[in-house]
Amino acid sequence: MHELVEFAVEKALELGAGYAEARFEEKNGTSLAMKNGNPEGLSIISEKGIGVRVLVDGGMGFASTNVLTKESVAEAVKKAVKLAKAASRVRNESIRFSDEDFHRVSYKVKMKKDFRDVSPEEKMELLRKIEEEVKGTGVNVPMRYLGYSDQLWKKIFVNSEGAYVKSKIPRVSVMYNLVVFENGQMEQAPFVQRAFSGGLELIEKDEPWSWAVKDVQALKKLIYEGQKPPEGKVDLVISPEVAGIAVHESVGHPYEADRIFGREAAQAGESFVKPDMLGERIGSDAVTVIEDPTIPNSWGFYLYDDEGVKARPRYLIKDGIITEFLTNREYAAKLGQRSNAAARAINYNREPIVRMANTYLAPGDYSFEELIEDIKLGVYMVSFNEWNIDDRRYQQRYIGREAYLIENGEIKHPVRRPILEITTRALWSSVDAVGKEVEMFPGTCGKGEPGQGVPVWMGGAHARLRDIPLRRP
Amino acid sequence: MFDVNEFILKKARELGFGDVVVLGYETNRRQVRFANNEITVAKNWHERKVELFVELEKRVAGTSITELSEENIERTLKTLLSNMKGMAPKEDYYGIAEGPFEYRDIPETFDKSIVELDEPNEYVERAINAALEEGAKRVAGVLYTDHNRLYLTTSNGVEAFEEGTGIEISVRAFIGDLESGHGTNSVRILKKFDPESAGRKAGEIAKLAQNPEQGPEGKFDVIFDPLAFANLLSYMSFMTSAYAAEAGFSFLVNKLGQKVANEIVTIKDVGNMPNGYGSRKFDDEGVPTRETTIIENGTFKTFLLNTSMAKKYGTETTANAGLMMPHAWNIVLEPGDYTKEELFSEVKKGIYITNVWYTRFQNYVAGDFSTIPRDGIFLVENGELRPIRNIRVSDNFQRILEGIKALGKESYHIHWWEVRTPVSTPYVLVEDVGITRATK
Repeated sequence: MHELVEFAVEKALELGAGYAEARFEEKNGTSLAMKNGNPEGLSIISEKGIGVRVLVDGGMGFASTNVLTKESVAEAVKKAVKLAKAASRVRNESIRFSDEDFHRVSYKVKMKKDFRDVSPEEKMELLRKIEEEVKGTGVNVPMRYLGYSDQLWKKIFVNSEGAYVKSKIPRVSVMYNLVVFENGQMEQAPFVQRAFSGGLELIEKDEPWSWAVKDVQALKKLIYEGQKPPEGKVDLVISPEVAGIAVHESVGHPYEADRIFGREAAQAGESFVKPDMLGERIGSDAVTVIEDPTIPNSWGFYLYDDEGVKARPRYLIKDGIITEFLTNREYAAKLGQRSNAAARAINYNREPIVRMANTYLAPGDYSFEELIEDIKLGVYMVSFNEWNIDDRRYQQRYIGREAYLIENGEIKHPVRRPILEITTRALWSSVDAVGKEVEMFPGTCGKGEPGQGVPVWMGGAHARLRDIPLRRP
Repeated sequence: MFDVNEFILKKARELGFGDVVVLGYETNRRQVRFANNEITVAKNWHERKVELFVELEKRVAGTSITELSEENIERTLKTLLSNMKGMAPKEDYYGIAEGPFEYRDIPETFDKSIVELDEPNEYVERAINAALEEGAKRVAGVLYTDHNRLYLTTSNGVEAFEEGTGIEISVRAFIGDLESGHGTNSVRILKKFDPESAGRKAGEIAKLAQNPEQGPEGKFDVIFDPLAFANLLSYMSFMTSAYAAEAGFSFLVNKLGQKVANEIVTIKDVGNMPNGYGSRKFDDEGVPTRETTIIENGTFKTFLLNTSMAKKYGTETTANAGLMMPHAWNIVLEPGDYTKEELFSEVKKGIYITNVWYTRFQNYVAGDFSTIPRDGIFLVENGELRPIRNIRVSDNFQRILEGIKALGKESYHIHWWEVRTPVSTPYVLVEDVGITRATK
């Protein structure tokens, strides 16, 4: 296949492109669903194709094809070059890419238990196990939607500046939506996902059924014992799961350089962060946020991005100070920097754009007991359902699913739907202590048009926020 | 492409499959994205693929085939067969529609001049200029042209073809960091395309939105612009699928025949809407698409169904297959009799929301959600508009439908990144909408 990828790049240069890259991607896998105990059917995923991106006279063009012949690829290259030329006429400034060191490399993530060797019925057993364990709790869960998915992603990336990156990354995930109905009341754990890069052994070891059991038991307890959360100014301890969504939404996204420069303005939005805010304080000393694609077996794993740049951990906030944005080559050049390898494309038919991978609140040195021991009145938010954030990533809201009252340093009864509605600056300035243990949670990060849902992890350590105006529904 | 479909059907039968649906696509899609008044990237997609659904003794499976050689087709079918053999059956599977059917062309869904359009950049420039003329400083957005051919063959005697086109634009205009507006235009034939109207609307709202103050919180009468209400109805469209209800993702669970909205509210799915961005002659099992009333004068009438789910519930398909998951084509909120001016004059003290995004649910079955206004937001007081910012709609879906107090008489067809199922809706006035904001 690499001959065809190299052919695409050569052809683009021949047709007048100043820069060209081609990316072959092949995805093979299986997905299964089970709805209220019924197997919903099997879906076999098998797709491949080539995407070509070029710069011509400072304009950018992209075309893709899933017909993998020389003629068809040549046709796609021709279209990309033509589109780039036409686009260059509606530009004020030429698009330029940062200078980078490129490599010829090949890497893969190994599977101990290769999901290709496992039959669909055996994979369905994983879902059946969730069914059985959930039923075994005796909690009434009338609606149960379960999903399993595995995919092997193979890629070959070549550009006109000497990059050649070949990779093979397997990804497995299980998700569930469980609706608990007890005592005339209903609570829900929707779209809960467990996901990894690697083999089936990672799902088996993670035991998604244990998470499901924990969820339905917590929801039952919430129904029977839940009380109103305290209102007004209290202390709030957020779990790694809640810290994860908060760093993803209010740190990761607004630090995406394409958003900062307005390229996403009509879709995924803009940012309150401006280029001159590097070095500015955004949170307390306790807050460090790291973005790291290289975490082994992570859901957002990669070692080279989709522009061929080598990945590394990126410190978005260090000790409360904005230290780095997420960049691709286009926006690294605008900032006068080198790319930090945040360019990702979800498939051969999508352009690489600036994306997160695994974003987390770095650990501090507090044990969980130390975090809560001097809280007189507060809330511990363990998981969340409803969440959203504005266009500029400044005004956000997270509503607790599982949450508890903290009183005089002790965890007490569950509380219903405590609402954290807060600005980004207030959120990160309120953190006065961070726990020792980091935990990660998977998600699908949406951005781009057409949409590119990319796998990410988000998480971190527990964090304590002081004097938070907590609300009730 | 029917030769490919027939080959797949023949081979599938030879292997012993029962129900078989072969849906072939040939698609040409072009995109021009723009930001800061210039084109950021232009793209082209050409795709040829077959979506395949097969059943084997109540076991169901699906895949898409992109490499359409006979060898690969046979290999794919054999893979499906061997994977399905050991699986447990889907006990609530009741088959696909019995064809053949007769189809009528839907007016204004195909236009050769879109197929032959060489270069769509001039439309982008027209939209940008319209927004700039209204006072915008920065304009961003996306334009698409579409040309699709569909070839459907089923084991129940269906052979159906349709060819469709479309062109659409979504434009967002900015003045400062906090002042923006949004407009869209989605049509199926070129002579109805009006990119300037999208640009102008975006620019006008941005201009009106200058120097916003912090918004209030509490309960307010809210006028939703069609762009904003389309977002909510697009989320609701998913919840009208019987599949979503069974899976625990719908506030309409167990509410058939009940009042779920104010009686002035009638909501339909119209699969055969002329010039509708989601219109199609037939659904995925070949049933001719139609108009289905989901909520009639406030009463919930039906979920959207395919043949199998309809049989399960002892009723008829609504022609919304999706073989696994029935889905809406074009959601329509029937307009009322208010002019835009009359609607605004109904509001003594309220809020006008021009757009929302990021609608998320605390509980799908209860319908509790929040969504964030984006672009211009205005306090409406005795006909005057005053720009505000930083508020959130926090409410319940059914309560919003029940609180609809007045509907504009003009309908707008909305389809963009945040409104994935096309929606036709007028301006909508809802009373006592929950508004919250961050206080720190």
